Parts: sequence; structure tokens; C-alpha cells
Amino acid sequence: MRRKITLCYRKVINVNSISTWERLVFTDSFTEFKMQSQYFDQESKYYTFAELLHNVPTAEKLHFLVSGSIINYVKQLNEVIPDVTNNLGLHFLKFNQFRFEIINSDLRNIDKHVVAINFYSEQLNHIDQIGDYLLTSKSNISDNENREVLTDMFAMIPYLTIYSIKQ
Amino acid sequence: MERKNFLRSLLIGAVSTPAVINACKKSSAADETVGVTTTPTGGSSASNCVVAPTETEGPFPTKAPASYVRSDITDGQTGYKLTAKITIGNSNNNCSALAGAIVDIWHCDAEGNYSEYGGTSMQSTNYQSVHFLRGRQTTDTNGLVTFTSIFPGWYSGRATHIHVHVYNASGKSLKVTQIAFPEGSGTAVALVNGYKKGLSGYTYNKNDNVFSDDTSGIEIATVTGNTTSGFELKIQLSVPA
Repeated sequence: MRRKITLCYRKVINVNSISTWERLVFTDSFTEFKMQSQYFDQESKYYTFAELLHNVPTAEKLHFLVSGSIINYVKQLNEVIPDVTNNLGLHFLKFNQFRFEIINSDLRNIDKHVVAINFYSEQLNHIDQIGDYLLTSKSNISDNENREVLTDMFAMIPYLTIYSIKQ
Repeated sequence: MERKNFLRSLLIGAVSTPAVINACKKSSAADETVGVTTTPTGGSSASNCVVAPTETEGPFPTKAPASYVRSDITDGQTGYKLTAKITIGNSNNNCSALAGAIVDIWHCDAEGNYSEYGGTSMQSTNYQSVHFLRGRQTTDTNGLVTFTSIFPGWYSGRATHIHVHVYNASGKSLKVTQIAFPEGSGTAVALVNGYKKGLSGYTYNKNDNVFSDDTSGIEIATVTGNTTSGFELKIQLSVPA
């Protein structure tokens, strides 16, 4: 019986991010943070997300609330996890689960704004490890020993991890 | 830092090496339409040397509004239909209509739960309809915004309410407030009767820690309608703009 795994890729976006998609996520999430953080700090006492979180623990909800500003960009990815490629250089991981986080932000300076989007892959069959590479197949393909199964081979890049395992 | 630089090098590699020389079908189901460029670049050491993305560029991202920007905020939640018409006035200008103000509203579902998730856990969320019963509209020349939703349920310690956050056009907060509902025989609160929960243990406005000081009832909306054709809520909120 093969193990079923899901992967998590944590895409960090900051002032140095360059692609159009990353810039849209970066600027729109900063705008939304500026708007929604005012609810938790109605006297405008704090500037950074860290300060706000320390003094107003319910500001933790901002991870969720600010995610509304980037959800339409997540949809534009058409369920394909960005950046992660197999050894043919093709994006092969599909997702329908995500989680957005604010890592740091500062109302005074957008350059301090750092966010991450965690992408959770669909379930894969873990077949083998060959050197530095994982060999997987789509888990919706039936696990029949006599059938030829198409596979993906890929290396675990930084910010990519195995999120869950089912024996 | 090394990792970030590494990821950036992947991106730069993808952008700066667009020489398409072949179209090679890939074996898995995903992205069957992509063509391929062949420029393996990547990490600086053997342990993280991976093939850079080598596909035709795309999809092409376009500027998109926050998911909150819609008039119908139901997102598949079940309950009696509620149309909320909120008029924003400027309290610094005789409460005249305030056009171009951004109005956020949010409220709980029929069972008393809000759409939300925690940020510190590793819990994942499906990205479809994750922000149910939360909406954003910009006031028209009459200061009016209209939302379609469901009549809110209730939860322990609070009367039925809708949260409102009003911003000016550039996103500066003007007012954080809540809308209360009329109570008593024949009112929407009585007709909906707390959905499946009933109204046993319900907190009425006079005992609500937010609304109890509103002795003149300015936070209480006008609510008409019935459970068959739905309810309509109207309220004027004046904010300092």
C-alpha cells in the first residue's frame, strides 16, 4: 500500500518580489492591511503588525481578513501551485486549499510589508525516493499493480515540505 | 537570505530565458497545453540544484478587487433573505448624503458563526467562498449601499446585529459601529425566531453590552418583511467625514 502525501509550499512575498502577480498580492494586501487594521486600533496607536498583535491579540484575525484582498489572485492561478516544478521544469502540483499570512507590516513603510501564501497540494501517491528526488503519481489514479502509472519526479526546494501523510 | 535569493534567481531565470525551442508534451494531466523552454538553471549547490520553470508564460494576472466587493454576500449560506439598505450621511455637514464612502459589513450565519480562520495554526482553507457574509460596497450619490444576504442568527451574549465599518474613499476609517434589530411581537427577530436555536437564552438589546446604552434607539434599523418573501433592512448612519 502506497503512502498518500500532500505537500505545502509557502510562498513568501516581499518588497523584492518581482512578478506581476506577486506585486499585485504585495500592494493589495498592504492596502487591505491599512484599512482593516484600523478596526483593531481605533486610536491609531500602533504602526507595525507585530506591535498591534502584541497589544491587541484579536488582531490575529487580520491574517484571515486581509486574505480577502488576495483571494481573486489565488483564483487566477487556476489551481496550479506557482514556482514548484518537476524535473522537466513543469508546474505539476494542483491545489484547492490555501492559507494567507501576514508575516510583518508597517503602516508607515510598504517596504516592511511581508506576506506568505501557503498552498496545500492535492493528494499524491508517494512511490519512491530516488537520490534527491521524490517520485509521486496522481492519487486519483487507481493503485493497480499491473497498470502503467504516470509519475512526477521532483526535488524538495526551499519552502516546500510534506504537509501530511496517510499510510 | 540565501533561500530568498535562490527563489528570486528562479524567477529571474524564468523571465530572462524565454527561448522556446521545442514543444514537449508532459506526461501528467496538468498543464497539457504548455510549451517548453529548455534552460535548466537553478540553485548554487548540488543539494538545491533544480530545474527552473520552463513553460510558456502565463496565466496572466490582472488587477482584481478584494473578494469583499460584491452586493450579494450570501455565498451559499442558508437562511431567510435579507436586503440591507444602508445610507451614509456626513455628520460634519448636516448629515447630508456621503458619496464615495467605502462600507464594509459582516455578520454571523444562521447558527451564529462568522467566516474566519486562525493565522497561527497550519490549518488550510478551501479558497472558494471563504469570506461568506462579509461584503464591501461604495456609496452612490445618495450615500446608499445595498447588500443581499441572509437574516443573521445569534450567539450567546449578543443581540442580533450587523457589523459596519465605514471608510472614506482612500480607506481611512470614519466609523466602526453595529446595526441593531427591532424586537417584540411581529418583528423580524420574532418571526425568524433564532432559526433552529429558538430564542431561549437570547440577549435582547437592553441587556446587550453594545446596544444597552442606545436609549434613543438610533442604532436600531427599520426592518420589514416576512419569512416567505424575505426581509428588508433600512438605516441611516452618520459619520464624521
